[in-house]
Formats: sequence, structure tokens, C-alpha cells
Amino acid sequence: MSDSNETTLVGTSALIEQLLRGEFICRVTNEDGWRALKNNSTRERIETYLNQINRTLASAGEGEVFFCGYLQLGDAERKVVSSQFKDICSALIPLVEWLVLVQEASGQDAPLSEGAPIRLTDLQARIEDTPAFREQLTKLSQYRLFGSSSSNVDGQIKLVFKRLVELGYLTKPNSEKQIYIATGKLDYLYEVIRFIDETEGLSLEAQAETATQRELI
Amino acid sequence: MSSNLHQAGVKLLKQLGRHADVIMDAYLAGSINDTAHDSGVIEKLKKSGILWRPEPDQELRLKRSVRALLEEALSDERNRQIDSNVGSSLATIKTLADHYKEARHNIDHSAAEAYLADLNEHVYSFTDSLRYSIRVLWGRINNEFGYVGTISAKIRENELAQSQVSDLLNGLEMFQFSELGEIAGDIRELRRLLMTSLQETLSQCTQELSIVQGRLYELLGRFRQIQGRTRLLKGWLLHTDMHPDYQVDNHVGHKAIPNLFNCAEALLAPASVDVSNPHHELELMSLVAQVKAISRDALPHIAREQNVTFEMGDSEDFDIPENPLKIAVDEYFCEVIDSGLRQSALSYLTEKQLTWDAESWLYQVIGGYEGLADEHKNYFELEPIGKPDPVYNGNFIIHDVELWLA
Repeated sequence: MSDSNETTLVGTSALIEQLLRGEFICRVTNEDGWRALKNNSTRERIETYLNQINRTLASAGEGEVFFCGYLQLGDAERKVVSSQFKDICSALIPLVEWLVLVQEASGQDAPLSEGAPIRLTDLQARIEDTPAFREQLTKLSQYRLFGSSSSNVDGQIKLVFKRLVELGYLTKPNSEKQIYIATGKLDYLYEVIRFIDETEGLSLEAQAETATQRELI
Repeated sequence: MSSNLHQAGVKLLKQLGRHADVIMDAYLAGSINDTAHDSGVIEKLKKSGILWRPEPDQELRLKRSVRALLEEALSDERNRQIDSNVGSSLATIKTLADHYKEARHNIDHSAAEAYLADLNEHVYSFTDSLRYSIRVLWGRINNEFGYVGTISAKIRENELAQSQVSDLLNGLEMFQFSELGEIAGDIRELRRLLMTSLQETLSQCTQELSIVQGRLYELLGRFRQIQGRTRLLKGWLLHTDMHPDYQVDNHVGHKAIPNLFNCAEALLAPASVDVSNPHHELELMSLVAQVKAISRDALPHIAREQNVTFEMGDSEDFDIPENPLKIAVDEYFCEVIDSGLRQSALSYLTEKQLTWDAESWLYQVIGGYEGLADEHKNYFELEPIGKPDPVYNGNFIIHDVELWLA
């Protein structure tokens, strides 16, 4: 009895730490933690704790991704949120270009989303074989988000993936293998774009559709 | 009559077996060229209605019934044909039931029996085709319409399946069991067939179809989400391409910040060690014990900020002071060359009144001789003078060496 209690406590503390470090918790990055957050009583316990330090548990991606937000927004908190918003907005273009490149280079129908694996060597080979993809990679790797000054595909793609792991959009489950897995933070990113699209009335989907139809004609 | 039918059927099946290769070729390729196969065989197959020519200048194709047989037996996923025409089956069943009732009424037993068998056949084949349709639908759901490549094609396939499901469900609704009950009346055979067996199957199938429908909606939702995301990304790139000065509005400037952007700053710094906590004593001790290993791991990593340029240049001159003992030995060698005489090293030492210790001198002389290049060494002969050790055999004690020109 006491044993099981202890395990939960230890588990929750690690989870709270992860949340307070600003990490996104999803099934890919921390399956046990994600499961714990799906459980109502654990979630309430964590929420109570977080509330004491003006934090709250927030979720995105239809409740599949958890992160830590502020409970009350004072001036200081607003400043933080504002600067984070700027960060994510400036990261949108490079990230979207990267997502489209990965989708097109791997010839997939679906864009990357949580749990999708990427084999770096395969992707690299495909990009190296196609001049258009090489050009796109060079362009996107030079954005400040990635900041590559390398002139070859190998250097560029390695840096881009390293940065994406640092930013939490990808994980590398086995450090020996060049296989990356997309995390729930990517689903958060889609939600951010959708939010901007809907609030500003950009009708991005319609724009894409008319463009595709024009291409077909 | 029935034995004739039996014989004809066996003949047909044998023909199918005999020309299985041709039939499978036609099945897989969709059609076959009559010139590619034996014209006799083709003619026979055409005559027995296995192959047919849809248009005069078209290639030969398999008859639908043969094709359906193969599709079902092979569980071929390309098969998306579903017989959703419940209405005509219902009408046939009703008609046959009426025939049967009339024959019974006229006490024409043989006719009644024939109609009942026919009715049985129709009811069972109807339920079988219904179950088969559901199986086909599940097959398509389970591999997520894997037989088509793109998301838009999958969405279209899904919509086709949805319409088939709704057709089936609408058709099943036409079965009014009260009506069937009226038809069956109080005739036991009909009640068993129409009320019990058919009703049970139909209610099972209706249930299963609604599950199928639910799954199809779910899949469609997922496909639409994927398609939506792809379009969202493409649209974003298009939009930012067309409006290079586009800036995202400041969505966090409002009074109420959307939950999505309410992301707290990373907060946690590592805690410090409390050395006075007795509970941690053991662990801290073991950590301290590992400090040596840790210090090796934590060697400052020399990271170069950028590449340091490295230039090749002339190496600077440096001197190694000559050893005076070595110089003295060199002079001794020169003396031997000059005199051309055999000379003892020790006597040279005393003669020249050199200050070196005798033992060091001898070592240096031997060393000097051994250190000569082979071509120079050949000009000299060096002989150690000494005697074997009185106590330990195998040891030779050198008192002096003599050097002369070879």
C-alpha cells in the first residue's frame, strides 16, 4: 500500500518537474506521465500543486498534449507570454517549410504528426537526390531558428534535426540510431496555425485548395 | 432434368479447372487478348459464358459472376462491389412465399416443396450476400482504404462506402416484420424461415452496419484532419509567399489571452544538497566516493568557438649543449685513429689525466663505440678486458676496454 503510494508520489514529482521545466508532455515523450495526466485524480492533484505557484495545467491537440500555463496573468506573466508568442511566430515559417519538405520528400500523404517516425538517412538520401529539395533545405536551414551556415546537405539536415530535438518537436529514442519521432508539440503547432488562420480569417485551406485546383488545370 | 443439370455443372466446373491459367490471367489483367491463347480454348470459354466481349473491338473479359466468385474466394480487397439492392430481394421473397402458399392451398405438395426450397435458397443467399457486404466493408475499413494512394482518393472511397452503407440500411428498413408475419401467416415453415431466421440475421446486420457507419465517419474525420493539416501548411506557405510583409497579429495583446498561448516560463533550477540531512547520508557518501570518477568525466571540454587558423612556419633553431664526456670519448677515438695503435681506455684516461670516473668513462666508450653508424663501426675493434664473476657464472666483469683500428 505504502509502496504504491510512494511510486505515485515519485511519478508525480517527476511529472511536475517536467511541466515546470516548460516541457510538453505527450504520449511519445513520456507515455507514463501522459497516462497519469489522463487520469482525473492525478491531474487534479497536479493541478492543485501547480495552482499554489500560479501555474495551471493546459492542454492542446484534443487533450493529447499537456503543458504548464499561468493561472493568473499579471504584468510579468503577460510579458513572458508575449515574448514566447513572438518566438513561436518567428518559428512558424521555418517550421512549416520543414514540415512540407519532409512530407514531400518522403512522398507521404499526411504531414508529420505525433508518433510519426522519420529515418534521417532515408530522408537525407531523398533530399540529396532532388535539387529542388536540396534548395528548400538550404533555404530553411539558414533561418535564424536553425542558423546553419553549412553548404552541404549533411551538415544542414543534422543541424536542423538537432535543433528540432532541442525545441521539443522531435525525440530521438535511441541515440545510436538515426530515427526521430515527432512529438505532440507538433500537434500544438498545427493548433497554433489553425488558431491564427481562424482568428485572422486567412482561410488558408481554401487558398491551398484553389492553388491545387489551378495546378490540376 | 436434374441429372442433366448436374452433368452440365460438372462440365462447366471442369472447364474452369482445366483453363484456370487463362481465367486467372483475365482476372488479374482485367482482360485477355484472344491471340495470346489457344483459339479453341478461348472459343470454348466464350461458349460456356465464362469469357465475353463487351464491345466488338474490345478484348475479352471475365463474366461478372466468375469474377465475383474469385473476388469472394480470394478476399480480394479491390472488390468494392456491394449488392445493396435489398428491395428486389424482398420482392422475390414475398412472391415466392405467395407461390408456396397458393400451392399449399391447392394441396400440390410437390410444387409447394419446390417453392419452399427456392424460398429457402433466396432467403439464405440474401442473408449471405448481406453478411458478405459487411465483411467487404470491414476489410476496407481495416486497411484504411490502403488500395488507393492519396488522401483525397481515400476520402472518395470512404464516401462511396458510406453511401453503400446508407443504401443497405435504407433497404433493410423496408423489411417490415409485421408484413412478413402476415405473409407467413400461421404456416410453421414460413414462420421459421421469415420470422425467426431472417429477422435474427437482419437485426444483427443492422447493428453491425451502424458500427461500420460509425467507424467510417471516424475514419473520414481522420482523413479530413490529415487533409486539412496538409492544406493548412500549404496555405500558410502560399499566404506568406504572397504577402511577404505579413505579420501575425498580436493575439496575446488582448485582455484575455487564448489558452493556447498561455505557456509558463521554465521555472525549475536544480535543488542544492543538504549535507546535514541524515537520510541522504548514505547516498551522499556514495556520491563522494565517485567524485574521482566524476572529476575525470568532467574534464573541461575544450570547445573551439571557431576554427583556429594554423600556419606552417620555419621551426626555430635550438641547441643541445654537447656532453663534455662525449667529446672526450670522441677525442679518444681520434687518438686511436691518429696513432693507429691498440690502446686501453683506462690508460688513456690516466695518461690524459681526465677527471671522469673510470666506470662512467668505460660506459661512455662502449656506448660511443656501439653508437657509431655501422659503416664507421667497421673501422674499429673493441675488446672488453675482464674476467668471469667468481661467484655468479655467466656474468663477465669488465675492467677495461681496448680499442684499435680494424
